Amino acid sequence: MSTRIGRALGLALCLSLPALAAGEVELSATTDAGEVALDGTLLLRISATYSSRGEDGELKLPTFADFEVTGEPSRAEQMSFTFSNGSPSFRRTVTTSIALTPRRTGDLTIEAVKLVARGKTLQTPPIHVRVVPAGQVRGGRSSPDPFDRPADVDPFADVHPGQRDLILRATVDNEHPFVGQQITYSLYLLARANVSSIEKLQLPRLDGFWSEDVEAPQQLVPEQRILDGVPYTAYLLRRRALFALRPGKASIEAAEVQVLTGFGMLFSRGTSRRSSQALRLDVQPLPPGKPPGFDSGNVGQWALTATAEPLAIAVGQPVTFRLVASGKGNVRDLHLPGLGALPGVRAYDPTTTDKESIERGQVNGTRTVEQLLVPERTGSVEIPALTMEIFDPYQKQYRTLHTSPIAVQVLAGQSGAVASVPVAQNLLGGGGLRPIRLRMASVQRATPPWSEPWFWPALALPPVGVALALGLAGVRRALRVDPGDRRVRLARSAAEKRLRGARALLQRGESVAFYAEIARAVTGYLADKQGVAAAGLTREELAAALAAKGHGEETVRRLVRILDDCDRARFAPGSSDAPVRETMLGRAEQVINELDRGRA
Amino acid sequence: MTPLLALALAAADPSGLQLFADANAAYLSGDVSRAVASWEALVSEGIAAPELETNLGAGYLRQGKRGLAALHFERALFLDGGDDDARADLTELRRGNVDRLEGEAEEGGAETAARLLRPLPGFAASIALAVLWGAAWVLLALRVFRRGPRWCSLAAAACFAGALLSALVTWGAAAGRRLALQRAVVVAQSVPAREGPGDKSVSRFEIHEGTTVRVEDEEPGFRRVQLANGLTGWVPAASVELVVPPGWAGRPVAAISPRAAR
Repeated sequence: MSTRIGRALGLALCLSLPALAAGEVELSATTDAGEVALDGTLLLRISATYSSRGEDGELKLPTFADFEVTGEPSRAEQMSFTFSNGSPSFRRTVTTSIALTPRRTGDLTIEAVKLVARGKTLQTPPIHVRVVPAGQVRGGRSSPDPFDRPADVDPFADVHPGQRDLILRATVDNEHPFVGQQITYSLYLLARANVSSIEKLQLPRLDGFWSEDVEAPQQLVPEQRILDGVPYTAYLLRRRALFALRPGKASIEAAEVQVLTGFGMLFSRGTSRRSSQALRLDVQPLPPGKPPGFDSGNVGQWALTATAEPLAIAVGQPVTFRLVASGKGNVRDLHLPGLGALPGVRAYDPTTTDKESIERGQVNGTRTVEQLLVPERTGSVEIPALTMEIFDPYQKQYRTLHTSPIAVQVLAGQSGAVASVPVAQNLLGGGGLRPIRLRMASVQRATPPWSEPWFWPALALPPVGVALALGLAGVRRALRVDPGDRRVRLARSAAEKRLRGARALLQRGESVAFYAEIARAVTGYLADKQGVAAAGLTREELAAALAAKGHGEETVRRLVRILDDCDRARFAPGSSDAPVRETMLGRAEQVINELDRGRA
Repeated sequence: MTPLLALALAAADPSGLQLFADANAAYLSGDVSRAVASWEALVSEGIAAPELETNLGAGYLRQGKRGLAALHFERALFLDGGDDDARADLTELRRGNVDRLEGEAEEGGAETAARLLRPLPGFAASIALAVLWGAAWVLLALRVFRRGPRWCSLAAAACFAGALLSALVTWGAAAGRRLALQRAVVVAQSVPAREGPGDKSVSRFEIHEGTTVRVEDEEPGFRRVQLANGLTGWVPAASVELVVPPGWAGRPVAAISPRAAR
């Protein structure tokens, strides 16, 4: 058996020669927390991974302007040799850990770490750390290192093989993950017999998970294990990273493997079929208290940086805005914040690129969103700070990642230059919130006049006044007395009154007074109504005056006769008897009626 | 006129102007919350000015309170129909409103009428109406009763014509004001519009903050509102604020919203 192991290692070394020749070096730097209290300590881990043998590079630590280095940096080294994706790979990782104490509160930066190795200079991006006042760090800080987590779990701790010589064992490193948190599914073959090769491997369906291959060895690499006092050889058949898509109970069905056992061609070669046990997981929902704007895909340990290039530019020229989220987790499900509309800047649709890598069993990723911005106004354009809410499953808390605002100076383009494409020098579009006003120029709280109680009476007053004046004038006109008119109007009634007096005299037998009253009634009527004074006229003049007023000849003659009869009776008493007087009264009434009907 | 008013205000309440200046300074330094609180204090002191309302709207908009921002821009426009800043800010704000009304252009007659009638100089027209009307009757009386000169008749006819024109303008302004008194803005983030004034009534649709509505009726705790396109429903009274608050223009207090109560 040792001979076979030796052959395998030899073969692996031979196959790995091209990779070794490539001589790739990777450098990364992480902190154990994104936020630390002023009295707390931050652990900075710098990992240099070499894919080939050779001298270690020279690590150049930054000056740590915002931090104090506590104690001496510690150094750890780890080597791994695996067959992955059909080719063997050798990796040696040197991890340098440095404890840092912040000097002040605020958003601090750990400067870039440089590594000079194999003729190259590598550099990590700066790390932004939020430092809060002493004792105020949210949710405390735990430092579970996701790199160390899976390696520390013994997948065979609860395996009791009994008399079995071949066991297919499936394990996960965490049976209670959060939604979106990585768990690692591993499938091992434990054998007491000799295993020649794997003829068929049937992995379970992984419904409800997003999965990614971590290791898929093409060659069997043995690892010695003692289970219940019996030596077994363990072969890793497959290792996958799983990300649960929804909370609740989840199961991973059994895997199956068909194994060819025995030595070479002669010694009892046989085929064995084995199934693994099914696995049950309890996927936890994300804890309550999700911040506004949190996207359920943003689970993991992420860092967010924003850059713009160039920072000074002529108007109409493009600026590349780059938003980068990098860290541990499922980068394909990550949702980065959008930039939104910037006044005076034309923004093109962003492009997104993802890059994934497997580092010590952990799926890492980088999502880069690039957006082309074309300033259309001169002056300073500020690309605002962006925030992204994430859930860190290892610290079990929500965190807010911030980028810093970026100021871009936009200068006027060169005037006079002939451009093939017309470019706006300073495009001043409308819109946007206007500036506030600094002076209160007027104060208005007046109710409109038509709502005031005086308004409508004031409008009604003039016409009412004029109407009253008109009415008063009419009354005054009606009350004004004209004696002539009054005489005319009352002439008939006065005549009738005298005739009634004459009748009374007739009844009393006063003949002279009777005729005198008849004569007064007629002449009074003539004077009042007709305007003819009979006393001063001869009978002929009287008749002519009445005829001139349009009265009939017969009426005038009867009138003259009445007046003559009255004169005769007054001056020759006893010349008439009672019936004659009675007739005289009737004649007088008749003449007055005829005169009244005639023209006045 | 304006400087005189400003001087009068300064003499009457210098602390009010100082508070206004302090609020502006706070806003410009980025302390929007303090600025809004100071402006609100001025409003609660009874100061009604289009500049104050416009600034308050801008402050609320910066805080993301779109409903209150729209309310104060509308109030600024009520106080001064020609306030260009308030109109532009309101237009900008409405671009981001959640509610998009279908058929608003066809059936938004009230909105259009209110917009057209708002700039009419109702105050001046009503004063002119009273003066011209009175003058016309006096001239007529002179002509009729005193046998005044011939020009009295011509002047009376001109005054009657001017009074008629003023009456038309006053009528338009009064109609616009009546519409304005019914205007309200949704200040709750989202509120269901129901078929009746009760929480158990069926919800027909939802309206969101910043949408302008017309209050048609009131019941205890509820208001019947109509959108510009004719959609009508009952909403909780506290979820909409009248553009013209009780106390302005002497309108009766029909329902007290929490802010009005404060």
